[in-house]
Amino acid sequence: MSNAINESEESTATEQMPTEQEPESTTTAGESQEQVREEWSDYNFDGPAKLAVENLNVHYGSDHALKDVSMEIPEESVTALIGPSGCGKSTFLRCLNRMNDRIKAARIGGSVELEGTEIYDPNANLVELRKRIGMVFQQPNPFPKSIRDNISYGPRKHGDIDTGLLARLLGRDDTEAETELVERSLRQAALWEEVSDRLDDNALGLSGGQQQRLCIARALATDPEVLLMDEPASALDPIATSKIEDLVEELAKEYTVVIVTHNMQQAARISDQTAVFLTGGELVEYDDTDKIFENPESQRVEDYITGKFG
Amino acid sequence: MSRESYQKELSALQEAVVALSETVVDRLELALSSLATGDEEMARQVVDGDGEINTRYLELEGDCIDLFALQQPVASDLRFVAASFKILTDLERVGDLATNLAGYAIEANREVFPEVDVQALGVSAVEMVEMAVEAYAEADTEACFAIDDYDDSLDQRCVEASDAVVRSLIERETTMADDGAVERLLDDASRLLLTIRDLERVGDHAVNIAARTLYMVENDDALIY
Repeated sequence: MSNAINESEESTATEQMPTEQEPESTTTAGESQEQVREEWSDYNFDGPAKLAVENLNVHYGSDHALKDVSMEIPEESVTALIGPSGCGKSTFLRCLNRMNDRIKAARIGGSVELEGTEIYDPNANLVELRKRIGMVFQQPNPFPKSIRDNISYGPRKHGDIDTGLLARLLGRDDTEAETELVERSLRQAALWEEVSDRLDDNALGLSGGQQQRLCIARALATDPEVLLMDEPASALDPIATSKIEDLVEELAKEYTVVIVTHNMQQAARISDQTAVFLTGGELVEYDDTDKIFENPESQRVEDYITGKFG
Repeated sequence: MSRESYQKELSALQEAVVALSETVVDRLELALSSLATGDEEMARQVVDGDGEINTRYLELEGDCIDLFALQQPVASDLRFVAASFKILTDLERVGDLATNLAGYAIEANREVFPEVDVQALGVSAVEMVEMAVEAYAEADTEACFAIDDYDDSLDQRCVEASDAVVRSLIERETTMADDGAVERLLDDASRLLLTIRDLERVGDHAVNIAARTLYMVENDDALIY
């Protein structure tokens, strides 16, 4: 990882590409980018990496939204992405399950590997990829269907369960499997106790916090390995937020969670490692969360998290 | 710069810690003077002033807790508030030690052990506290290590002073006749040993202040033990 960063820095320097040059102002006095990257690029977490990102670059038209981002994300842990608006953290998150493919103006370069397999391989199966890497968004977005149908929608689409008249005629009926799946997913999302007696009610009748946990349950129903969360609690009140935070910690025992948050205290509370993106689409520092919040290497990260930024 | 009121609270905390240290050092110097002269009024001033130090200490500790709860400081801010929180405790303890010393001053018999130079030990102890608070105010890590070295020599001198008291006692024991005189001598000796021990402890608190300062500036816990 460190080699990849250094090579790209070097090639940038030798090619003398004017568009790739860092403006002077982004480098704090007495501390060069290279020095800081040198420090934390040695960062090693315990356990194997689930996702490995190498030299990821994203352009939206002429806007260079992510610059040469390289990082590895360990499995069964919570990785927080923080940074000011427009720093590229959501763009980065969306690259991890190819959500940016849908944006025509986006050009994506570099590599993202899921357990050693390139997800940007032209032959990669997108449906399979998004089954393995689920996503939860900022605004809860349940389908206008029953709670039960919200959960079973994905597994039905993937052909994992089949119920109804046609299925029975074809000799297949997964009603029992569906019931189990709905209960398991809702329990994992810590919502079962609240909705078990009204599974056929419309999901839009739930509170915001419940809707968000339903969306998490829905994402879990397809049995993903990675869960991407884009500010999952920012639209929720403190009590609903704390339920989501507890849930994230619980989920990290089984899943790899990557979470974008504007709330630095939330990142500090729930994540194992934190990546700080700063304006210009750069990953400035990536380390254990306690290291980032107690003694960051980079002065720019220090200024950002202590609120002296800008 | 954003979070202006927060930044102001942080600087105000630093100023208040330094101000409290000045009060504590004043009291320590008064206690030393009263030890030298036996001036009871001066000693009373130190004893009566301890309540003021304790009150201020609790107020500032509350300010630190408010900062933790309301501002959730991180990175260097976090280390600054955490270090200040700990340093306040050390200052309060030095205040208590000054009170002890003033108490000994009222009773002390300055004639008995001329070979023990309490004032020299006291001056070193006061200097260490001043150096430590200056290191904190100036974020001077080199000074932190210097204070640690200084403490090794103060400890050594305190051991030598205590040894001198005991040796002097052994030598005198055989020449004493009257029981009352023996008792007075034992009182004087134990009071002097306590004085030496308390001055040594003042130095230890100065090292604690330096250790927290080093942590605050460089996230280095080398002096914390």
